[in-house]
Amino acid sequence: MSANELVFMMGKFEARFPTDRLYAKNHMWAQPDTDQPETYRFGFSAYAVRLLQDIYFLDWIRDAGEALQERQQVGGIESSKAESDLYAPFTGTLTEFNPALLSDPSAINIDMYGAGWLFKMAGTGTSLLNPQQYLEHLQDAWKVAERTLKGQFND
Amino acid sequence: MARLTVVVSQGQSANPKKRALEEEIVTSLLFEKGIEVTVVPNLYDLKPDGTGMLCLKGISGNFVIASWLYPRAAHWVLDRNGVKGQFGKTLLRHEDEDDEEFGEGPPSLAEESASEDVIGPRDVPSRHIYCLDLRAYETAGPYVDEIKRIANESTVQTVDLMGFLGGNQASAEQTARFLDPAPGNVHSTANGSEKNEISGGNGHEPFDLDLVGGAQTDDSGGESADATTLHNEPLRIDEETGRRWYPVIDFSRCTNCMECLDFCLFGVYGVDRFETILVEQPDNCRKGCPACSRVCPENAIIFPQHKTPAIAGSPEVGGAAAFKIDLSKLFGAPEGLDAAVQERDAELVAAGRDAVGMSVGIPKRQQDKPDGPKDKLDNLMDQLDDLDL
Repeated sequence: MSANELVFMMGKFEARFPTDRLYAKNHMWAQPDTDQPETYRFGFSAYAVRLLQDIYFLDWIRDAGEALQERQQVGGIESSKAESDLYAPFTGTLTEFNPALLSDPSAINIDMYGAGWLFKMAGTGTSLLNPQQYLEHLQDAWKVAERTLKGQFND
Repeated sequence: MARLTVVVSQGQSANPKKRALEEEIVTSLLFEKGIEVTVVPNLYDLKPDGTGMLCLKGISGNFVIASWLYPRAAHWVLDRNGVKGQFGKTLLRHEDEDDEEFGEGPPSLAEESASEDVIGPRDVPSRHIYCLDLRAYETAGPYVDEIKRIANESTVQTVDLMGFLGGNQASAEQTARFLDPAPGNVHSTANGSEKNEISGGNGHEPFDLDLVGGAQTDDSGGESADATTLHNEPLRIDEETGRRWYPVIDFSRCTNCMECLDFCLFGVYGVDRFETILVEQPDNCRKGCPACSRVCPENAIIFPQHKTPAIAGSPEVGGAAAFKIDLSKLFGAPEGLDAAVQERDAELVAAGRDAVGMSVGIPKRQQDKPDGPKDKLDNLMDQLDDLDL
């Protein structure tokens, strides 16, 4: 483990989280946008990408400029292993979607902490977690995730 | 000979795997006698007055539609657009489905009259519509085999209906066919025509059940039968379709309780002149919002593109119909009536209106619900709730 990242073990898989940014409970990272104040760029954390695996379809049901409540649905994602709806990480205004992902979402798998960013939202960001807090959140989340995965496999 | 139209409804996304399966099915059917293939954009996205829907309305007689939707969803989307028919029983089932369950979709009208409250669909003609779910198999083979089986079955039925219901005097030959419609028995000796030989086991008189865009039946004799029954190009409908989002009512389940009408505050629902619930303004619906479906006591409201199988019209509520793991809960999805209320509030605010929370149109039955002992699922849900996602 290098000095600028934290690692969480998902079974035998090492999920790595850069410490240069904040995290949301719905497994997105958040980085203050350099150009606009009070605006964050969001992307999937390694935990989310590991659960999803190869992503091949991403769909947004909201438009830039819309005000969103925390946990309001913004879109959906389909991968080789799973599908999921996606929700707003905090209450704020959607300012931009990553246009590069619209035609080809594979950048999420290739470079989740960089070119694979999802969208930008304006908001205060007070509900975001620091990397250490996010790791603590994962301790509990992972237990439930394991049970959910097993439960759905065994149905 | 009678023709069977096979409609392939394309997936919403340009997922290459999906396109490849669609095209493989189309290609495999092109040289099948008596089968005509039409390709339309995603059935659910078709505009009510667009070319695609007009084409579907133009199909008379039985037809097959293969789509990336649950058969129930496809059936009721068609019904809402006036493309009506009996639910054709298909032997296709998902690879992971239980063997005990035979076929898919709602029970026939006769079976369903057992439940008195159900209003049932109106004005349904006797023809059958067979809905195949393209997510059931990864290869074209099972679909092509099933379509051939249906084509065979359909042709026999058509002769029966045309010969007797049409009011014409049934010929001795027709009667014989009716009594024993086995393929070997239809080979005509009475008129010695070559047609029957050419068309093999399905050799019946050429009934014109023709369809939009279908080729004309050649009545000039037997010599060019091949040319009339083989098509090497499918009919492709290129309709500009934006993505649509609206509920579809399964009238084999709906009891006309009006809870959806009370709950939806966007004017999607209305009643027709018989006071029957109706999706009156589908495009008033808020994209992504499935809230009314969650409050429907009969699970009769389908949002065909929703991720949750029970909402998207899977045959069994809560059955093993999930093809992919749904991680929505892990990514922060709310649950149940809370979800419905939250979804509705979010849409109200987005539309510049005030959130109403639990104060409007909440079904009363929730209040009387007794607190039973918690099962494993409840416990898992409690844990998820405790997570404070």
